Amino acid sequence: MTDKFMSPHDVEAIPGTEGWERLYPYHYQFSKDDPDRAAFEESQLWFYDGLHYPEPHYPFDLIWDEAWFLALSQNNTRTFLMPPALGIDHRIINGHVYITPVGVADPEEVGRRVPTFMKRAGYYYENWDRLYEDWKVKVNGLLVELEAVKFEPLPEVEDETLVFENRGIGSGYELLAKYDELINMGLKVWQYHFEFLNLGYAAYVTFINTANTIFPDIPISTLTRMVSGIDVVMYKPDSELVRLAKLAIENGLDQLLIDNKSSAAVMTEMANTTAGKYWLDELEKARYPWFHISTGTGWYHHHSSWNDDLDVPFASIVMHIEAIKAGKQVGRPTEKLIEEREALIEEYRSLIGTDADREAFDQVLAVAQRVFPYVEDHLFYVEHWFHSIFWNKIRELSDVLVGAGFFKDREDIWLLKRGEIRDALWDHVTSWATGTIARGPSYWQKEIDWRKGIMEKFQAWSPPPALGTPPDVVTEPFSIVLWGVTTSVLKNWLKGVEAVTEGGVEELMGAPGSSGVVEGRARVIKSAKELSSLLEGEILVATTTSPSWAPAFTKIAGAVTDVGGAMCHAAIVCREYGLPTVVGTGRGTTTIKTGDLVRIDGDAGSVTILERA
Amino acid sequence: MSDKEKRIVLWYEELEGSDFPLVGKKNANLGEMLKGGIRTSPGFALTLHANDMFIEETGIKGELGSYLSALGEATLEACQEASDAAVKLILEAEVPPAIVDEACAAYQRLCELSNTENVPVAVRSSGAVSMPGQMETYLNIRGEGDLIEYIKKTWASAYHVEAITYRLNKGWGFLLNIGVGVPKMVNSRVSGVSFTLNPLNGDRSKIAVDVSYGLGEAVVSGLVTPDNYLVDKVTLNPIRSTKGSKEVMCVYNASGSDCAFVDVPAEDREHFCVTAEELTEICRVSKVIDKYYGKPYDIEFAIDADLPFPENVIILQVRPESVWSKKADEGRTEQKKDAMDRIVSQLITGVRIK
Repeated sequence: MTDKFMSPHDVEAIPGTEGWERLYPYHYQFSKDDPDRAAFEESQLWFYDGLHYPEPHYPFDLIWDEAWFLALSQNNTRTFLMPPALGIDHRIINGHVYITPVGVADPEEVGRRVPTFMKRAGYYYENWDRLYEDWKVKVNGLLVELEAVKFEPLPEVEDETLVFENRGIGSGYELLAKYDELINMGLKVWQYHFEFLNLGYAAYVTFINTANTIFPDIPISTLTRMVSGIDVVMYKPDSELVRLAKLAIENGLDQLLIDNKSSAAVMTEMANTTAGKYWLDELEKARYPWFHISTGTGWYHHHSSWNDDLDVPFASIVMHIEAIKAGKQVGRPTEKLIEEREALIEEYRSLIGTDADREAFDQVLAVAQRVFPYVEDHLFYVEHWFHSIFWNKIRELSDVLVGAGFFKDREDIWLLKRGEIRDALWDHVTSWATGTIARGPSYWQKEIDWRKGIMEKFQAWSPPPALGTPPDVVTEPFSIVLWGVTTSVLKNWLKGVEAVTEGGVEELMGAPGSSGVVEGRARVIKSAKELSSLLEGEILVATTTSPSWAPAFTKIAGAVTDVGGAMCHAAIVCREYGLPTVVGTGRGTTTIKTGDLVRIDGDAGSVTILERA
Repeated sequence: MSDKEKRIVLWYEELEGSDFPLVGKKNANLGEMLKGGIRTSPGFALTLHANDMFIEETGIKGELGSYLSALGEATLEACQEASDAAVKLILEAEVPPAIVDEACAAYQRLCELSNTENVPVAVRSSGAVSMPGQMETYLNIRGEGDLIEYIKKTWASAYHVEAITYRLNKGWGFLLNIGVGVPKMVNSRVSGVSFTLNPLNGDRSKIAVDVSYGLGEAVVSGLVTPDNYLVDKVTLNPIRSTKGSKEVMCVYNASGSDCAFVDVPAEDREHFCVTAEELTEICRVSKVIDKYYGKPYDIEFAIDADLPFPENVIILQVRPESVWSKKADEGRTEQKKDAMDRIVSQLITGVRIK
């Protein structure tokens, strides 16, 4: 077994993609230009961020990666002075993002950072609830600003108010300024996203490690159950669907929903009756903000929200109606969850041998519980609500450029870096201002066609899980908790044994997501639209799941995902539904086929294909 | 109580933990478990009083008692000599008819309960004080004649040289009356041992289970590598499952009393010997035992080949865990001022998770 991964400088470009580097910022490239920077790159462990990015990046979509690159790193390094940890450095190879946590090498420097950290982080821990309330106010303000952004085609002739109100500012300038504002809002919401997220994770990691000291080998999934919130914003969209399902049954509208295939047809028919109109009003109340939830993770422009495609939530409402009529429990049994959580905590506490240990446990549990609502809920505000609206604002802008002949399709804009969009806008506004021909149409359409070809080749490439030099022991808390990169995972990667074939039995290893062992037929689901094809008792196999998939969880017997760790939402939701789950298998959706008989062991983190369909 | 003290035989269901002076600890514990709703194999106990009656009425008590003073300095040779003489004396004595009658009547009742003629039973020593492993247990005893013979052998085993030296080291007397337990032999498809803590580190939130094919002797005596599980005591979810090689198993001798070791068929060695639901039931009952006594326990169990689930999961024997329970728990976490202090030191030392 080799003790190093491939050097990041040795990864070769995919034939036919030469020149791909210009799709991304120049500083995202591994490079040997500077021997010191090259030596640093060589000495670090870079792992593929498959947790966030199961697919290669479109140039524009990299905005969120850049946003957290800055926000997380600056918070660790410069704001809170996280004693042992600096930021997380980013690179991109063949469209796939690789990251590496950077530590403070000098132990004395770690010590010097402690007093500042204690003072600053202590302030946040002590005032957590109030600061979280402030945080919501700030983010909500930004969402209001975001909603207000509108992009319109440039006028043939400026409105006369420009003159008679002596505003002095032309539409060309405003278009440029609005684009900058929009981008800045996106970067700013990510500043908020990380305002105290790492402090939350630090508290959570401390709880996990302390509990593991007291109860060696206690599963992380059990610990998450002790801290996870009850009244969690991420579950609100699904509880709204349950509400609408019940409302439909109460008002005799359930059959109408079941019979109609499209949301548009349902809504047309609903509008004909008083009861239907009432239901539509309630639907409108639920849509804003709860239907901003993404059907994916929100990280990619093609992760549409429920508001973007009402067929998705309508199909889920139908699932809820059928479940309610079949006498099943739908939604989250909040009271039962509270009871179970308290009983779980009490029973473990009673097994602690000394008062000192019990005090330590209580201390870290209390702080983990305090930080958890923010740790769980920030996702809805940022990745779902903000991103869902943001993508559509960019589409609005794209329409302007489609109108000016720059692109053939509004979805072409994702193939431009955000700086290139600004350049294109300059091209557009100056040619508009001058009354001349822009270069954009001839320049961008050719470039976009070429980039589409590159993206296809990137899609087909399997990124190696890691590059560079692994540490002897992984102790960096964020790699472990968020990405599931542990010492033993690295060893498996080095051995290259992610998939073992043994006498016809295929086994995939992932991380334990939710306890239990179950067998069933697999159904591979590529998007939320396919959820309605799920049959009772099947095993859901997906790249990742979204909390918006919750209605499907009343049907399935278990779940397998390609990406994610014990903290990811698929794992959290499945634990609530008591479904055995294995997360982060890397290649579940490519190895398992619909109809295969599989056994999943949510404790060992293994998936066995027992019989091929 | 006064009635109980004069009895020769007491059924397990008549006993409770505090009866150990009458019947020995193992027997009293089994009665206590029944009271707590924990399934054990049906059976009865011969009391210490019965043992005393035996040595009294046969007139061997005086002679047995004299060995102690005759020993003088308790050298190993002297102990061996005293042991040989005591065992011979007991085995050659005739069990008084009152005891034979009572024991046989109880045995017949057990045969009826099991719907089996000459039902196989175990004959187990049960001291009123703990003398772990110093005395004998005989398995697969059938018929009245053998039963009485093995009861005598069990009484005699209190005078085995190991038992004598153990007593003398503890400063106890030479004479020792013990109880005898007579449970129906479980037709063990598999058997094993569970600890209601992790024996490797004393963690009380875990249950450790060793289990293999056949009678429990193979696991207890360490003759096989059993399947091994570490199970979360709170959630009853398995944390680690390690398949053992399970080379041999101990089975009844078809011909008569006692048992023999045979090879486990290759295909049975390749898989775990209990199902997931059986494992959960073993752990559930182990947890009931732990909760009932309020401390970690060491439990012998079997899964009967003839009974349906969950009645087939039978507890054979329980005793308090003796290693970690004796150690003072020094705590596992470091002393820290508050949560903030813990977070900082956590960040500095890093996380170590496999």
